[in-house]
Amino acid sequence: MSVPFSGTLRRSGGVVSAIGKQLKSINLKGVKRITVQFDPFAENVKATREFLFLLSTPKVSLTNPKCIVKPDIVCDRSPAFVKFSLIESAQEQIKAKEIRFNSENLNTLELLQLCNKHVSTLAPPEEITNKVLTKAEKQKLAGGAGGKKLAKKK
Amino acid sequence: MAAIQQINKLTVTKSPLLQFFRYRGKINIQRPQPPHYERARVMAVTQPRYLEEPKTLTCFEKRAQRNQTQLENPYNAIIAREVRNWLDHSQLVAIYHLNSITADDIFRVRVQLHKQNMHLKSYGRKIIAQAVAGTNYEAILPLFHSNHCIVFSPDQQRVASLLRITRKVPQMVLLGGIVESTLLSRNQLMEYAQMPNLQTMQAQLVQTLNMAAGNVVQQLQAHQCNLVRALDVHAKSETTEQQQQQEPAEQTPA
Repeated sequence: MSVPFSGTLRRSGGVVSAIGKQLKSINLKGVKRITVQFDPFAENVKATREFLFLLSTPKVSLTNPKCIVKPDIVCDRSPAFVKFSLIESAQEQIKAKEIRFNSENLNTLELLQLCNKHVSTLAPPEEITNKVLTKAEKQKLAGGAGGKKLAKKK
Repeated sequence: MAAIQQINKLTVTKSPLLQFFRYRGKINIQRPQPPHYERARVMAVTQPRYLEEPKTLTCFEKRAQRNQTQLENPYNAIIAREVRNWLDHSQLVAIYHLNSITADDIFRVRVQLHKQNMHLKSYGRKIIAQAVAGTNYEAILPLFHSNHCIVFSPDQQRVASLLRITRKVPQMVLLGGIVESTLLSRNQLMEYAQMPNLQTMQAQLVQTLNMAAGNVVQQLQAHQCNLVRALDVHAKSETTEQQQQQEPAEQTPA
């Protein structure tokens, strides 16, 4: 009697790969402004600071160049939070003006997962513009059969 | 002759008898002869036995902990000493959170700061922890949990120029600082930049202290001053009347 296989065939790459995977699918097109507020001397601020750093990387900021990331430093030991102010179409979609993550008890991976779950889904779908064909591409498409006969004759 | 021969006998060297077993041929290492039983028995008995720790104790430990091969690098102590030196001899220490920034941009900031006699540095958290352990500077440790940089300056008047330079850099976020061995938060540091220099502040303090005594003197002299002022006004008005009377008198004879 053999037990059916259970478990993984591949080992996970760890937290760092999970974070990288989340970062690849992040999309800030639905966000107008991100405010990250924290008190640097408070406890449990590491995740917020790391999240701020990851949002400032070129790959993430290029998903929406118009989105401003504003770090806000306070000195009153208030709990840290991340506020996403949404664009109009996203606001209509979820009937709310902004999304707020209270990040004092979340770690970086969880913050990214929540961000992907709530914020990246609000990105407006991309419009497919008509692709302009170059001369070579047109020849390729149109003279596919004719071109081959010409080549053989030569 | 006999003496020389005796000395010669003492200095005579006899070379050992050499019998060569190998000559040019290759040695056999891959197919050794099985040893004699007695030799094999001795070898078996004298094999070293390395005992492993029971796996239940070490199951969840990482490999470095299990093997304990990772020694603390003594270079870390040297860098920690350097950090401690910087902290002790700088009147101004500002700590920034560093977002993703290109090397070009950070170099530009470094050059601008260097022109103002301020030094931009960055160290690892473990080294700073080692440098700062047991000193007054332990309070700044929580600022180094994430990507950071530190600006040291030997004189504290440069806070305004520091803030002016780093305001242009959006990737550097001021977290806090140490000015004249006093830990300041971000808001306090910005207030400190707004304040005028030490001499002006000392003058203001002296003025405030003198105000107490000056107030008493002023109140005592108040009535006399009022009287003098009233008499002054009265006297002036009389002289102007007299002048006005004299002028028509002068004009009529002319």
